[in-house]
Amino acid sequence: MDKAKRTAILLLVIALVVLGVAVLADRASAELTAIANHDHITIDFFYHGSTVSVKGIADPDADLIIKIASPEAHETLKQKGKVGGFLWMNVATLKLENVPNLYSIHSTKKIDEILDQKEMDKYVLGYPALGRHVEMSPVKNDEEKAKWFDEFIKYKENSKLYATSAGKIEIKDKVDGKTPYYILTDWPYQAPPGDYLVTVYAVKNGKVIEQAESKVLVEQVGIVNTLSNMAKKNGALYGFISIISALGAGFGVGLIFRKGGGAH
Amino acid sequence: MYLYLPVALTSINIMIPIGLGLVVGLLSGLFGVGGGFLMTPLLIMFGIPSTVAAATDSNQIVAASTSGTYAHWRVGNVDFKMGLYLLLGGFAGGLLGVQAIKILKATGNADFAIKMTYVLLLGTVGTYMFFESISSMRKKKVETEVKPEKESAFAKALSRLPMQTRFEKSGVTHSLLLPVIFGGFVGVLGAIMGVGGGFLMVPIMVYILRMPMHVVVGTSLFQILFNCIEVTFLQAYTNHSVDFVLAVLLLLGSTVGAQVGAVFGRKLKGEQLKVILAGIVLAVTVKIIFDLTLSPSLLLGQGGGH
Repeated sequence: MDKAKRTAILLLVIALVVLGVAVLADRASAELTAIANHDHITIDFFYHGSTVSVKGIADPDADLIIKIASPEAHETLKQKGKVGGFLWMNVATLKLENVPNLYSIHSTKKIDEILDQKEMDKYVLGYPALGRHVEMSPVKNDEEKAKWFDEFIKYKENSKLYATSAGKIEIKDKVDGKTPYYILTDWPYQAPPGDYLVTVYAVKNGKVIEQAESKVLVEQVGIVNTLSNMAKKNGALYGFISIISALGAGFGVGLIFRKGGGAH
Repeated sequence: MYLYLPVALTSINIMIPIGLGLVVGLLSGLFGVGGGFLMTPLLIMFGIPSTVAAATDSNQIVAASTSGTYAHWRVGNVDFKMGLYLLLGGFAGGLLGVQAIKILKATGNADFAIKMTYVLLLGTVGTYMFFESISSMRKKKVETEVKPEKESAFAKALSRLPMQTRFEKSGVTHSLLLPVIFGGFVGVLGAIMGVGGGFLMVPIMVYILRMPMHVVVGTSLFQILFNCIEVTFLQAYTNHSVDFVLAVLLLLGSTVGAQVGAVFGRKLKGEQLKVILAGIVLAVTVKIIFDLTLSPSLLLGQGGGH
């Protein structure tokens, strides 16, 4: 091999290496991944909630927002109010549209510090954005809507279905120019069976620059599933079995006490 | 230990429903009430949706009142004849009550009127029972001979009603219409208020039908048993809101509680039972007043409770 040829090959190799490094570096800054570790939660007799962790890699300069939510649906709730000035009663029915039943949002910093309002509204990130996204009736004005939306959040947080946190996402040391992130969240047992979507947003300069998704499926299995299906699909038989069991149990305990108690 | 409830869609520590069942079953066996007034709000407090709480409670009462009726029947304290006529009235009253709700709802602000009526009724009945049983306990101490029954104008009017018949077990003679009408009255109220109405039925049997307290308890339980069978079936069939697992946990406690209550009740005199029941009725009245007047922590909630 002559010298010129050798130099050419060397140059080519160097060029390839440089190019490769450049491509890898570029990928590192532009690729966001998300994996939910516990993507299939099964509800059996002894189910008492679970945990879901979300991890992946992200651009080291970006902030992260992780949203876990159920599909949007409608909800109907009773409103309590004062009657006659001092008695609290259900006075009306509040209807909400476009609300997820479960809405859990975690970010590296407070959302309003890292994201423009326009972007918050576009991706429905944070309670204020959700408040603007939700349709509510009957409400007379914005003030009333804000008041009842606050009450709605209280109600949801009370049943553990809504949650927010800032600063709980762990950002680890850079690996190959990317930072791995990780968060462990409690999965409430109050969350009904269904499909849930985990979305991770990378945020830079007030804008969402990338998103990645993962899914969590919650499903009833075994006897829990059998009973719940029967209650829904075969109400008459289910009711009949419930009544016969109750009669049997009541009578059975009566007999046991007669033998054991020795009243006669 | 926690168990998952397939219809309520929530998880509960099993000691909670078993313990609640025991306490409510005890009251049931002692006084002949279903105990829904206590059970349903407590279940809601522990995170059970209100519709499921009410429906499952009626399923549980089927077991508790079977156990209680059986215990009282063994010592001859169930007046089946009276119970059947009360049931007849109660069944008709329940149907009427459902229609009444529709009319009341159309007029608006019905909740307020219904709740106020119920509170006033409970308060009056509780106070009357309390003082009546205390004074009769005192009288018995002073004069040992049984006082001659004075016939009041009300009692005379009742005795003029047609279809008079003898109720052997209770030792009273009444028109057949009487238990049907009062059973119906409680049935209407029960349907409107969403409660079984044992608190009103027991005083009616004691003061208007003049039945002995121990027979009242057994007969009331017999009547509640059939009412709750009907309610359980309707709830399971139309609303799919009976949680079988929760009902089983509750009845584990309540069937035993009902037996203990029945045994304990036999050791107490009729007046003593009445005084304690009056105390509980008054406590329930006060609790309802508190619920109505204290600011709730949450202004939104699910519908369907009472």
